[in-house]
Amino acid sequence: MSIEKDVVSRAIKGNGGAFAQLYEEHFDRIYRYVYLKVGNQTEAEDLTQEVFVKALEAIGSYKWRNSPFVAWLFRIAHNRVIDYLRKQGRVGKVVLEDDITLVGGLDPAFMAERQLEIEELISNVKKLSPAQREVISLRFGSGLSVAEVAKALGKNPATVKALQYNGIAALRRLMLGDR
Amino acid sequence: MTRKIEDIFDNCLESIFKGEGIDDCLKAYPEQAPELEPLLKTSLVFMQRFSAIQPAPEFKARVHSQLQTMLYAKQKKAEKRAWIPIWQSRWALAMTAILGFLLIGVGTLAASAYALPDESLYPVKLAGEQVRVTLAFSDIDEAKLHVQFAERRAGEMVEMARQGKVDEILVLTEQVANHLDKIYVMEQPPEVEEKGPKMLAPTPIPAPSKGAEAYSKGRGAEELETVLSQSRANSLAALRNALDKAPEELKPVLQQAIEDVEEDYNKTISIIKSGLSQ
Repeated sequence: MSIEKDVVSRAIKGNGGAFAQLYEEHFDRIYRYVYLKVGNQTEAEDLTQEVFVKALEAIGSYKWRNSPFVAWLFRIAHNRVIDYLRKQGRVGKVVLEDDITLVGGLDPAFMAERQLEIEELISNVKKLSPAQREVISLRFGSGLSVAEVAKALGKNPATVKALQYNGIAALRRLMLGDR
Repeated sequence: MTRKIEDIFDNCLESIFKGEGIDDCLKAYPEQAPELEPLLKTSLVFMQRFSAIQPAPEFKARVHSQLQTMLYAKQKKAEKRAWIPIWQSRWALAMTAILGFLLIGVGTLAASAYALPDESLYPVKLAGEQVRVTLAFSDIDEAKLHVQFAERRAGEMVEMARQGKVDEILVLTEQVANHLDKIYVMEQPPEVEEKGPKMLAPTPIPAPSKGAEAYSKGRGAEELETVLSQSRANSLAALRNALDKAPEELKPVLQQAIEDVEEDYNKTISIIKSGLSQ
C-alpha cells in the first residue's frame, strides 16, 4: 500500500492525524484552484473551507478504486464552485476583486508588482476556453499530474495534454498581446 | 506529430515541476526545441505567478481548528456507536418506556405538553417524547420525531432566553444536538444494525452537563452568544447534511426544521444580545 493510500485509509476510519495530513497536503492547492475560479479572496476562503468540511463529512464514502483521493477532493471543489457561480449567475465568468491580498511581509513595491502579475494572470486565464481554463488551473495552480487532472475532470489523459498545450500557447499569445 | 509535441511538452513540464531547467529538456528534444522553448518559458512564468497565490495563514489555521472540532465530534459519535449494544438495550428501554407511559397516565402527559424546562411537568413531557420515539413504526417516523423534538427544544430556548435562564438554554442546546445526532444514526446505519432489529439508539433524557454547571449566571452574555452561535451552526449543518441524504418523504420535514430552528436560534441570540433581561 502506498503512503498516500495508507493515510487516506486511516482518514476514512476517522483518524484525525491522517485527515490533518491530507489537509496540509492539499489545502493550498485547493485554495489556489478555487481562487482562480472565483477571483476573490473572501469567496475563495469561504468555498475552500466548505470543500474541506464537505470532504470530512463525506470521506467515509470515498472509495479508492474509483479515483485517486486528490481527484475526488478536486471534484468536490469543482462542484462547489460551480454551484456557487450558478447561484451568483456567474458561470463562465471570473470577476476580479479590486484588491488582491498577497500573503507575506515582503517589500511593498515587490508585492504591488506581484499583485499586478496575478491580476494579469487571472485576467488571461479567464479568456481561455472553459476546458483549457480548468486544465491550466488544476495543472499549474494546483500541481496535479495529467492523470489526476484527467480523473478529476473525467477526461482522457491525451485530451488533457492537448488542452494543456493549447492553453499555454493561447496564454502566450495573450501575454504577448498585452505588451 | 501534433500528438507527439503535446506528449513531449508534458514530459518537459513534469521535469520543470521537479525542478529541472528548460535547457535540459531542449537538449533532450532538439528537433522540437524551437517550438517548445517559448511555451516552456511561458509555463515557467505562469508557475511562478500561480505559486504567489497563497491562503492567509490565519485563515488556514481557522479552518484547521474547525475541522479538528468536527473530527473530535465525529470520533465521539463513533465511540458511542461502538460501545452501546444498541439492539439489546432498546428492548429493555422500550419495555421500561411503556411501563412508564402507563404509570404516568395520559392526563398528566397531556398537561405536560406545554411545560418548559424549569417546570415540574417537563420531565413528563420528555418521557412522553421518549415513548413516542421508542414506539415509532419505522426509521423515518423516528427521524421525524427527532426533528420535531429538536424544533421543540429550540422553541423552548427562546422562552428560556426571555426568562434569562442561562443554564436551561445550555441544556437545551445539548438536547437539540442530541436529537439531531439521532437523525445522523438513521441516515448512515452502522454495521451492527444489520445484525439486530432495525431500530435507533434510545434517546436518554439528558441531564444538565458539566459545561452547563460551569456556565453560571454571572458569566457574560457574549460568551453565551458564542456558544449559541456555534450550536446554531452545528444544528443547521446537521440538518442540511441530513437533507442531502434523506429520503424524499423526510425532506419537507427537514426543510421546515432548518427554517424553524434557525429562526428560534436567531430569536434566542437576539434576546441574549439585548441583555438577558427580556
